[in-house]
Amino acid sequence: MTRTEFWQGNTACAEGALAAGCNFFGGYPITPSTEVAEHMAAKLPKKGGVFIQMEDEIASMASIIGASWAGSRAMTATSGPGFSLMMENIGFAAMTETPCVVVNVQRGGPSTGQPTMSAQGDMMQVRFGSHGDYAIIALCPATVQEMFELTVKAFNLADKYRVPVFLMADETVGHMREKILVPDKVERVSRKPFVPGTPPFRTTDPDLVPGFPQFGTGQHVHVTGLTHDERGYPAATNPGLHMALVKRLVDKIENARYEMADYDIINPDAEQVFVAYGGPVRTVQQVLHDSPNNDIGFLRIRTVWPFPENALAEFRNARRFLIPEMNLGQIAREIERHVKVPVKSIPKLGGELHTPAELVAALEAKQ
Amino acid sequence: MSFDDWYRQDRLPHIYCAGCGNGTIINCTLAAIDQMGWKKEETVFVSGIGCSSRAPGYILTDSLHTTHGRALAFATGVKMANRDLHVVVFTGDGDLAAIGGNHFIHACRRNIDITVVCMNNQIYGMTGGQGSPTTPKGCLSSTTPYGCTETPFDLCELATAAGANYVARWTSYHVKELEKAVKVGLETPGFSFIEALVQCPTAFGRRNKFRQVADHVEYLKVHSLLRAKRDRMLEAGEHIPEDMFVVGELTRRNRPAMGVKP
Amino acid sequence: MKLAIDETRCKGCNLCTKVCPYKIFKEGKRPNRKGIVVPELDRPERCTNCRLRNLYGRQLCGVCQLTCPDQAIHWTEEEPYEPHKVAIEY
Ligand SMILES: Cc1ncc(C[n+]2csc(CCOP(=O)(O)OP(=O)(O)O)c2C)c(N)n1
Ligand code: SF4
Ligand code: SF4
Ligand code: SF4
Ligand SMILES: [Mg+2]
Repeated sequence: MTRTEFWQGNTACAEGALAAGCNFFGGYPITPSTEVAEHMAAKLPKKGGVFIQMEDEIASMASIIGASWAGSRAMTATSGPGFSLMMENIGFAAMTETPCVVVNVQRGGPSTGQPTMSAQGDMMQVRFGSHGDYAIIALCPATVQEMFELTVKAFNLADKYRVPVFLMADETVGHMREKILVPDKVERVSRKPFVPGTPPFRTTDPDLVPGFPQFGTGQHVHVTGLTHDERGYPAATNPGLHMALVKRLVDKIENARYEMADYDIINPDAEQVFVAYGGPVRTVQQVLHDSPNNDIGFLRIRTVWPFPENALAEFRNARRFLIPEMNLGQIAREIERHVKVPVKSIPKLGGELHTPAELVAALEAKQ
Repeated sequence: MSFDDWYRQDRLPHIYCAGCGNGTIINCTLAAIDQMGWKKEETVFVSGIGCSSRAPGYILTDSLHTTHGRALAFATGVKMANRDLHVVVFTGDGDLAAIGGNHFIHACRRNIDITVVCMNNQIYGMTGGQGSPTTPKGCLSSTTPYGCTETPFDLCELATAAGANYVARWTSYHVKELEKAVKVGLETPGFSFIEALVQCPTAFGRRNKFRQVADHVEYLKVHSLLRAKRDRMLEAGEHIPEDMFVVGELTRRNRPAMGVKP
Repeated sequence: MKLAIDETRCKGCNLCTKVCPYKIFKEGKRPNRKGIVVPELDRPERCTNCRLRNLYGRQLCGVCQLTCPDQAIHWTEEEPYEPHKVAIEY
């Protein structure tokens, strides 16, 4: 059963989190994400959950990691400046394999930039922003419906892979209002159970994910951001061990990228192919809708990291990929790594979506 | 049981230098916890980064060794997510008062039901002896080679002003008193802050004329001024020497607290 | 009870020599195999905890143990006293 609502994207995100069983939110107000926190502040206490406004985004990120180890499905929401502050603890979450969800409703940067305007400038930061090698999962919603659905998915992926998962929304999607079908129930994936008495960071499973030894269950687990052995004990000067640990942390996500890849393919035989995620998806849809010949290809990506490069190969006749992004070409560069044909970045800064005319012009231009 | 049963025996001896006071403070804290009759599975230790923050790694409970300065923010998440857990934080002067200063005052303001034990060696021990926000004026460190000129924080006054329910200060010499203070802290609902002045022979003592570890401990002993005595001196209008610091229970009150087990 | 220093843990800081009211711990003279000068015990049977722990059924004093930063001081149960048979050889 579903019911119909007319919601703002940020409301849909918060409702998706609640539907997914989120019971801890630690956050700090920042435009254009604040409505997520406000909605959680109103709803969580009534459901027996915890909402806490922390003193900054560093603390917000820390609090959800702590809550996650204590057994909560935990989330925070922020935008650029707050996202930058979270980076160190995001690396900690990756290193300690802590499931958690971070929403970034992107605004124009760098610095304070354009607080009320839309952007996709944090797409590389989300992948590489914390120091060292690691891997994360990032999802990009293009509709209010997806704000809800991908938030649910983010929680499930976080628990399944024991990794921070990012909902990389943008101001456009976060603040737009549209019709949404809200299901009564959503799918819920649990964390892999821990086998008592085994080393807490050992795994022999093919998915490379160890069971989760939740605090308070008598496992006496030591969790540290230092390079650690399978017992969780610091072993920071052992080169082989560090290599093996970091490789596993990256491989458990990268190896699963086809499994978790989420994208739509339209007109796979096309020669000219748009690739888009988040807000710009909507302009591409308009261009396709207006196109008389139905011969434009479109790859619409929801899981941007790990990048589903296999989807590009499905456009066998592609002669050119066109990538509209609200940044100076961040994912375009990732796509260049994977294809042999020209990749045309269509960057746009300033806070407004591309217009259909701009994309048509790019399509018609030779270069 | 004794406090020794709370150690991860397979991890000892620990990494601390010979004569480092941190080990003493862990003993006293664990002795207090042992007396509380808490179970290991309901006790969680949280720390940041520094020599002092390595303590949870030697204790046989769930433990979270986090990022520099952020222990209290992580601990807030643990405690609010599961109020049945007893949460104890180990931290250092740099971890708590420099990079973590904001989290410190906000945790006090919230009066969250956590006990914090700060091993104040008045120096950045782990990084080799740089000045910290509690390095006394005139003291030498690698970043104050001509003597520290900044005024140090009084961590206990800070905690009291910011709203903590229980505040006490002792030193690594006063092991019995410290154990008792930690126990009262653990029993008190709300935020409990126990500052333990400790010797760091490697990074502080070496540069500041404490040739022997015992000399530094002796210094801590003779420069401690019992709170009751300090109050009498104040009343009598006597001058309190500047190199003395107050020890004892400094604040004990019952303001509304957050995260207390229902 | 018998007082003992665990040589695998002691780092030779000599804080125990400072805190014991009976001055049972004396600075050691010779480094052990790890190069650490472990304190020596001077008539440890004088220790309050050695004498009275079993009588009171709890830890007494224990200041040295709390102070020892390296968790090297502990007590072990002593063999119960057995009167020696004295074989007299003529
Ligand atoms: C963000 C960050 N900045 C700097 C450091 C380097 N660092 C490690 S420990 C430390 C100082 C610790 O001092 P204190 O908290 O007093 O602990 P102590 O070692 O003295 O016990 C610093 C600056 C770090 N780990 N992380
Ligand atoms: S550097 Fe100082 S604080 Fe760190 S272990 Fe050595 S003595 Fe202790
Ligand atoms: S206090 Fe402990 S480590 Fe130090 S000398 Fe005595 S037994 Fe050894
Ligand atoms: S327990 Fe007390 S009396 Fe006994 S050796 Fe230790 S300090 Fe001395
Ligand atoms: Mg310090």
